Amino acid sequence: MIEQVLQTLPQVLIDGLALGAVYAIVALGYTMVYGILELINFAHGEIFMTGAFVGTAILLTFSGLGWMASMPAILALLLVLIVTSVATGLLGMGIERVAYRPLRNAPKLITLITAIGISFLLQDIVRFITELKNGNYILTGPSLFSKQIGVKASAISSVFNDASVKSSFFIVLILAVIMMVALDFFVNKTKWGMAMRAVAQDRETAALMTVNVNKVIALTFFIGSALGGATGVLFAVQYGTIDPYIGFILGLKAFTAAVLGGIGNIRGAMFGGIMIGLLEMFAAANLPVVSHGILGAEYKDVFAFAILIIVLIFKPEGLFGKVSVEKV
Amino acid sequence: MDVKNLLSTIQANKRLQAIIVGLYIVVTFASLYLAQKSVIAFLLLLASLLLLYFTSFSNRVKWLVGGLVLVVLLPLAASQGEAYQSYMEVATLVGIYIAMALGLNIVVGLAGLLDLGFVAFFALGSYTYGIFATSQANNFMPFGHYPLSGESFWVFIFIGCLVAALFGVLLGIPVLRVKGDYLAIVTLGFGEIIRIIFNNLDKPVNITNGAMGLASVKPPELFGIQFMYPSQFYYIVLIILIAVIFAVRRLEYSKIGRAWKAVRENEIAAQAMGIHLVRTKLMAFAVGASFSGMMGVVFAAKQTFVDPTSFTLVESITILVMVILGGMGSVPGVILGAAIVTILNLQVLTELTNWLNQLSLSGVIHVPDALSPAKMQRFIFGIILILFALYRPQGLLPAKNPVFDEKDLKDTDSNHPMNTGVHKGGTQHVHLDS
Amino acid sequence: MSLLRLEDINTFYGGIHALKGVTIEVNEGEIVTLIGSNGAGKSTTLKTISGQVKPKSGKILYNGQDITNTPPHITALSGIAHVPEGRRIFPRLTVKENLEMGAFSVKDKKLIAERMERVFHYFPRIKERLHQKGGTMSGGEQQMLAIGRALMMQPKLLMLDEPSMGLAPIIVEQIFEIIKELNDEGMTILLVEQNAFQALQIAHRGYVIQTGEIVMAGLGQELLVNEQVREAYLA
Repeated sequence: MIEQVLQTLPQVLIDGLALGAVYAIVALGYTMVYGILELINFAHGEIFMTGAFVGTAILLTFSGLGWMASMPAILALLLVLIVTSVATGLLGMGIERVAYRPLRNAPKLITLITAIGISFLLQDIVRFITELKNGNYILTGPSLFSKQIGVKASAISSVFNDASVKSSFFIVLILAVIMMVALDFFVNKTKWGMAMRAVAQDRETAALMTVNVNKVIALTFFIGSALGGATGVLFAVQYGTIDPYIGFILGLKAFTAAVLGGIGNIRGAMFGGIMIGLLEMFAAANLPVVSHGILGAEYKDVFAFAILIIVLIFKPEGLFGKVSVEKV
Repeated sequence: MDVKNLLSTIQANKRLQAIIVGLYIVVTFASLYLAQKSVIAFLLLLASLLLLYFTSFSNRVKWLVGGLVLVVLLPLAASQGEAYQSYMEVATLVGIYIAMALGLNIVVGLAGLLDLGFVAFFALGSYTYGIFATSQANNFMPFGHYPLSGESFWVFIFIGCLVAALFGVLLGIPVLRVKGDYLAIVTLGFGEIIRIIFNNLDKPVNITNGAMGLASVKPPELFGIQFMYPSQFYYIVLIILIAVIFAVRRLEYSKIGRAWKAVRENEIAAQAMGIHLVRTKLMAFAVGASFSGMMGVVFAAKQTFVDPTSFTLVESITILVMVILGGMGSVPGVILGAAIVTILNLQVLTELTNWLNQLSLSGVIHVPDALSPAKMQRFIFGIILILFALYRPQGLLPAKNPVFDEKDLKDTDSNHPMNTGVHKGGTQHVHLDS
Repeated sequence: MSLLRLEDINTFYGGIHALKGVTIEVNEGEIVTLIGSNGAGKSTTLKTISGQVKPKSGKILYNGQDITNTPPHITALSGIAHVPEGRRIFPRLTVKENLEMGAFSVKDKKLIAERMERVFHYFPRIKERLHQKGGTMSGGEQQMLAIGRALMMQPKLLMLDEPSMGLAPIIVEQIFEIIKELNDEGMTILLVEQNAFQALQIAHRGYVIQTGEIVMAGLGQELLVNEQVREAYLA
């Protein structure tokens, strides 16, 4: 049994890393918004999904116009990433302005319900626009960076099987790392990043320091949503086919990652994302093996949610967090 | 005389109210009786209950008239044509959803716990009956012969109720330690887990038959009569529903009901008042779940088919929409909300889609298939949730809190020192908890 | 000349009438103290001035301009620094970042460095703690940081809400000395205190607030010897 687990390990690591990078960046959006507003922004998964659709639509338009042939694919991708992240960033800001800001002093239950409403609304808007244009709400983008590269893991040790990587894997990973490093720099080293942390810690006092709190919150939503949207594009490039319902469950898992890393903790979210991605892929590959076929790969989601539930119940402060005292 | 004046005159005059309500019922009854295909007439007859709710008759009169409409008039008026069973189908499903929404209302509305996986309990009820009322149970039960007869249905209503309540408690024990907004996520995850498990529990032992679902579930049987048609299920649902409403009413004003509300308003203060937090929340979970489990059994028997696609997240959210739309914590509100959403889902959207399709066919306008109303559920529910949360968080029929007249209480106190009941009549003060 | 003037301010907290027609005045260059017991409306007065709480009626004039419904971040921009009750240091920001937050509206890095040096001049101890997280400091150090952070704004009017709360007498002494020093250098100060004795000693003028109403006003020295004040607040 161990043998089999080890054999698939290289492939599991590669797939888990790609998925984990996606979770990590989506988790950033949850953690930033939760850190500043103590709100689970259910709509964030849908922002990710919208990003995937906007990006794919632009790529399809490019190839329809024949531009893809005249432009290096990486340039096209960067262009699409920028346009998409601005679009989803503005979308996130708009959602905050219209749906969350008026409820800032309302009970949390009400705000959560609005967030679910937004989530459903976005799913359906994307669904009918796609269906209108495409005839079908499942969308397949142009295939980019689809070259398969073999990884000779067996050369390291004979217990491993060889693995294979789509070349988009490297692009996803590199861009994800760039995004995370950039965000980390922004939050920890710049003035507005400092203002963001200050607002998250004490909104009232930050305002006394001449900080326009609404502006900082809007900025937070913009950045989180821009990153989420861009990740959607990367997801579409890596996995090819998307539908309007990919955001919800993925969002839930990304939220798990955010909690695992300690909600509000940006580096923690990155770590949590990678962890969840690896664990999920590990579970998908090995649950059937370990349980002798009793538990199929479909149970990988059960596995992810079980982690979510266990973490929320026993370690809601995350793996590195400190217990916080509830304010009365 | 303007509208306001007119309304206040009607409010003041009971006889006028009786005439209006009576006339309304007679007219809508007659129109449904004569125009069988008119969905509008069917809906208008149902709406007579809402009208009745707003009258100032005593509760007993309201119940009597409402009972008359539901037990006799509605089935009778609908029974004259081909659409009879489809009307009764809608009415039956409305009843099932009302009971579930009332269950969720206890959890969300009274105890303030956002449960996004509520449909899991419904699924538990459905599968409990579905497994034993088909040959499915033969796969893993060492004794007994399955399917059980349709007469077991009546027992299973209680078993479904218990199983769901048990799972409510089992889930609740760990989960309720989680604070407010995390609870929403945990329950959502739990709902998904249950669905995935049911979807995959065809191996190693085939318990749920996986994605294939359980077919030909035995219909209920009583004294040799088989219940096969919606018009028969309608009465089963009606009886359960009345019991549920009665139970909810009782619970709301009982000690536990007040504890729920206290926990909703302020957990820490409630705890300081000596309320056992976990036990109180567990009760809410268990009671809410039990309604859902009961109706799950009925649902399985009525559909004669159970599969995991009936128990998705959308279903959980649909029930939540019913509660929010009607008014969290308000029993009449939730009943109204559940009725509106179910009818919207089953009747209005399909009718609208058919109508639009006809228009498209005859070339009047062209509505693309993507925009067909039947597909717009999520859009509509999303809009309802957002608009109500923003502009009317108390819902269509807000919850009323009884107000105690201080002087009156003192008077009764001196006469009956032990009397601490709710003061009925007098002013009813509307709390707009937002 | 009047720098700040509250005219007949009425503020409500939910259903509670917290300020009932409060009228006070702070002249340029003065230390004015507002004394009163717990819950009398002292903090509410400061919160109303800085815009954290909106008054139902009345007028707040600052430098002759109406700032009644100005949001807090704009009020702060106009030169009113509010050191809130309980210091409210950003606990997970470093001491340096806390100070930088005080100068959030300043773009010039050199100017920020200059002001920081100025703060170190008053509170040398802060300099030693520069890279420590704000939340890890002692109460006295946090109070110094809170005042230092406000000084980073270089305010015209410094409002302090109970700077002595929960501190050792020797630290309180130090802080009041620095308040005096700041005032000597020309800064106008509005000081809210429960510790009436110490506040009145350094104040030019004082107001006594009781259940939301100003019940007495006078020179600091006068109030210090006033029988009623002595009985109620200095005993």
